[in-house]
Amino acid sequence: MEEALVRAVLFGTPILLASLGALLAERGGVVNLGVEGIMALSALAAFAAAMAGGVGLGVLAGVGTGAVLGAFLGLFAVSLRANQFVAGLALAALGLGASGLLGKRYEGVPLPNPLPEEGLALLALALAALLHLLLYRTRFGLYLRSVGENPRAADLFGVSVDGVRHLALFLGGGLMGLAGAYLSLAYRPSWTDGMTAGLGWVAIALVILAAWQPLRAVLGAYLFGLLFFLQFRLQGSVPIPSEAFAAMPYLLVILVLALSGRTRAPKALGIPFERGR
Amino acid sequence: MRLELDPNPTPAKILGLYALFLGLALLLLGGVFLAYGVSPLRAYALLLSPLGDTLGLAEVARRTIPLLLIGAGLSLAFRVGFFNIGAEGQLLLGAVGAAYVALFLPPGPWTLPLMFLLGGALGALWVGLAAWLRVRFGASEILTTLMQNYLAYYLVVYLVAGPWKGQFVFGFLYTDRFPQEAQLPRLGDTLVHWPTLLLGVGAALLLQVLLFRTPLGFAWRILGENPAAARYLGLKGGRLLLVAALVSGFLAGLAGVGEVAGIHLRLLEPAQISLGYGFTAILAAWLARGRPLLVLLTAPLLGVILAGGDALKLSLSMPFRVVDVVAGLFLLALIGAEALSRHRLIWRR
Amino acid sequence: MKRFWALAVLALGLALGQGDKLKACFIYVGPIGDAGWTYAHDLGRKKAEAALPWLETRYVESVPEAQALPVIDRFVREGCQVIFATSFGYMEGVLEGAKKYPNVIFAHATGVKRAPNVATYMADFYQVYYLNGLAAGALSKTGKIGYVAAFPIPEVKRHINAFTLGVRAVNPNAQVLVRWINAWYDPAKAREATEALLAQGADVFAFTEDTPTVIQTAAKKGAYSFGHYTPMLKFAPDHVVSGQIVHWDVIYIDFLKKVKEGVYTAKNLQNVDYFWLLQHKAVEMGADYGVPINPKHVTLLQKAQMTVGGKKVSVYDHILALVKDMSSPKPTFDPFTGPIRDRKGVVRIPAGKKATLEELLTMEWAAAGVVGDWPGEPK
Repeated sequence: MEEALVRAVLFGTPILLASLGALLAERGGVVNLGVEGIMALSALAAFAAAMAGGVGLGVLAGVGTGAVLGAFLGLFAVSLRANQFVAGLALAALGLGASGLLGKRYEGVPLPNPLPEEGLALLALALAALLHLLLYRTRFGLYLRSVGENPRAADLFGVSVDGVRHLALFLGGGLMGLAGAYLSLAYRPSWTDGMTAGLGWVAIALVILAAWQPLRAVLGAYLFGLLFFLQFRLQGSVPIPSEAFAAMPYLLVILVLALSGRTRAPKALGIPFERGR
Repeated sequence: MRLELDPNPTPAKILGLYALFLGLALLLLGGVFLAYGVSPLRAYALLLSPLGDTLGLAEVARRTIPLLLIGAGLSLAFRVGFFNIGAEGQLLLGAVGAAYVALFLPPGPWTLPLMFLLGGALGALWVGLAAWLRVRFGASEILTTLMQNYLAYYLVVYLVAGPWKGQFVFGFLYTDRFPQEAQLPRLGDTLVHWPTLLLGVGAALLLQVLLFRTPLGFAWRILGENPAAARYLGLKGGRLLLVAALVSGFLAGLAGVGEVAGIHLRLLEPAQISLGYGFTAILAAWLARGRPLLVLLTAPLLGVILAGGDALKLSLSMPFRVVDVVAGLFLLALIGAEALSRHRLIWRR
Repeated sequence: MKRFWALAVLALGLALGQGDKLKACFIYVGPIGDAGWTYAHDLGRKKAEAALPWLETRYVESVPEAQALPVIDRFVREGCQVIFATSFGYMEGVLEGAKKYPNVIFAHATGVKRAPNVATYMADFYQVYYLNGLAAGALSKTGKIGYVAAFPIPEVKRHINAFTLGVRAVNPNAQVLVRWINAWYDPAKAREATEALLAQGADVFAFTEDTPTVIQTAAKKGAYSFGHYTPMLKFAPDHVVSGQIVHWDVIYIDFLKKVKEGVYTAKNLQNVDYFWLLQHKAVEMGADYGVPINPKHVTLLQKAQMTVGGKKVSVYDHILALVKDMSSPKPTFDPFTGPIRDRKGVVRIPAGKKATLEELLTMEWAAAGVVGDWPGEPK
């Protein structure tokens, strides 16, 4: 049982970090579907930097890469007012693709001094609490939520809608970058093409499960981590096909969502802000 | 400097912007090719090579078929406000339905129609679950349909590794080959199963008419653009949503039938069945901006990008990720140009 | 005269430029990656190209099964004379392509159907798995050995069975706990499956997945492991005991040489099947090239005892003796020699008989000692 809880936290951590990143942007009204690509490229940047100058530099490189990619999405999704969904999916493809092309020479190399997972797990937990405070206890949080709910009103009150959204994407990207760094510096620890293996999409889904609240994202990510571990822990112990256990985490997420009832997304989510309309 | 809406962009402006953005994308790609020691001109030629011969066109067409079917359905669902991300899973369910008819029902001239019917029905049923959860409990379909993709994946693995595993497959994860009656005809010696292609074209046309020429379509559009107004008008939002969702699931199911009955001729490991068409079709639908007819354009466009990327990786022995880079850059260019052409750049505040 | 020389130079130039090079093209099922199946094939391709100056190669990675035929079309158009298809799933595409292009030579890895211009080949690990099983049985203190497995197909089942037979030969009460991850490549699943097995007391690991994740995870908790497909010693120098290493180049070089010499043509491959093992040097037991057992674990294995033919011998000596025997031109030992019962008690290989190639290639039963779900298990 104890191991199960440990796994829930340690495997839940990258999902939590990426979820927090997506959540931050979504509270500001911007959907970032590029998570998978951002994580992939950040994981590579973190690994490359760690090989060159230690894990500290690696973490910085991961976070930095994620933030830059978040800002890059902002260029399209905020400044140009392009379709956020397509821009995000394009970024996901681009990030995955670029990491695969650039990373070839880092494949098959073990990282000499990996990061301890536990430290990052604590950091992720702290970041979730911090994000909660940011959202509900600071002026920026107020601006962010108002921009996500009613950008026209926020604009009338003198809040820079584009500015707030850019910042949210930038910071959110940084969190996704940290998730990528966790994978290549602590969880594996080495780098291979495609190592994010779909976690980015799970993270996006968890934002909805968490009803756009950082503290619930913690629960959601850990729940998913727990179920993911249990599929292997329970496999073979009862005469149920292994495929049924493998499907269990996803089935239970659906159930939890159905039972937790209606959640409300930020009203302006996914809609580019046009001042004239 | 800021952007303002431009309600009536001139054709010259639109054309110019698309040229500019596509040029930028090509320039960036050229950099990637140079870094790989490949002449950019040769790479561009390869990228467009699928358009130059029958073999390449067949490859484009083969990818267009599922993108067209699913994309048409999704463009409707998105328009109505049902964000179905689970077309991949619905496609797999369609494949399961097709396999059931092909393998376990007596073969005859009715086999293929029955496969399409059951496959489509299972696809619709699969998304129907998500639609019902949305209408009944308010559960977000983005999440439920995404999770259902995984469920469908493991369902197929279970079937091909367990009860449906073939007698003549040497223990590998396949069902037996479908009988002759359950195989779709193809064009020449290509893999283009044309009946499914016709279904796709028909679906796009039909949905376009349905959406813009019928009372049902009118109700759908109102619901999608302004749910509050729809309520005010007394429209049954839940039922309208459900029908749109079922249509998109049905079409995704048909795409699954086409893949197994036209190409694989058996049910197999799920990752091999669809190649992510359910996700790529989301792009086809979004690029079509809620007009099913436009999917007739966007689906082949994505088909060209995918086939061109494949030609690149094959002829230049480049890593397969080059396909993703090509697709990502072109998509960004397309929507960047699209977005900017709707706006005017104002230099002073 | 001048014209003669000009022509001669031109001819020479053509000969050198286009060469009499043989063009061999490879279709890979996955990305080349860093450790797995496709990586090993690509290593084989590179080594063949380095060894054979008259060889030119091309490859394309991540080709889905259904796309084999279109890829073959393109390869043939670009002048490929020999096409290697490296996944079972390409079978129908290859056979169709072979009919379409009767002058092109095809070789299909793990394949089971041949044609006048289609040969089949495989470098199989089952002997090596048995040897690793012996070491695993000796090293496990808990008597529980973890196996993280990809998909339930005969190749993987054969390997798990051979491994388990080895484990049980040393420790008749040991269990091999199997966890299926239903993926060839998924580091996250490999990691969590390993964690689950660790939590259940497994202290030695073997696996089928395309990354060193199992090794890295096991090493963190101090558990021993066996590498898969390529040398993985560097990922856990203190914990990788040995492993299975493939040398596809041995097969590729042999095959291509025979094509070049005209021994193999597009007319006579109907019966050409490579099922190459230790004796052909197509596979190797080792933590690294030329390191059959990690020196750090030699003493432990020397101390461990097992009974062979009624006599006590050290596990280490027995492993080395078997390696020598199975590497010789005429091996006397084979892991799948009866009597062997499956875990339900059904006799699968009668006493004194060896499993036939057919039986090896279609193995569905689970050896006694295997614990866990086993999709497709015969009743």
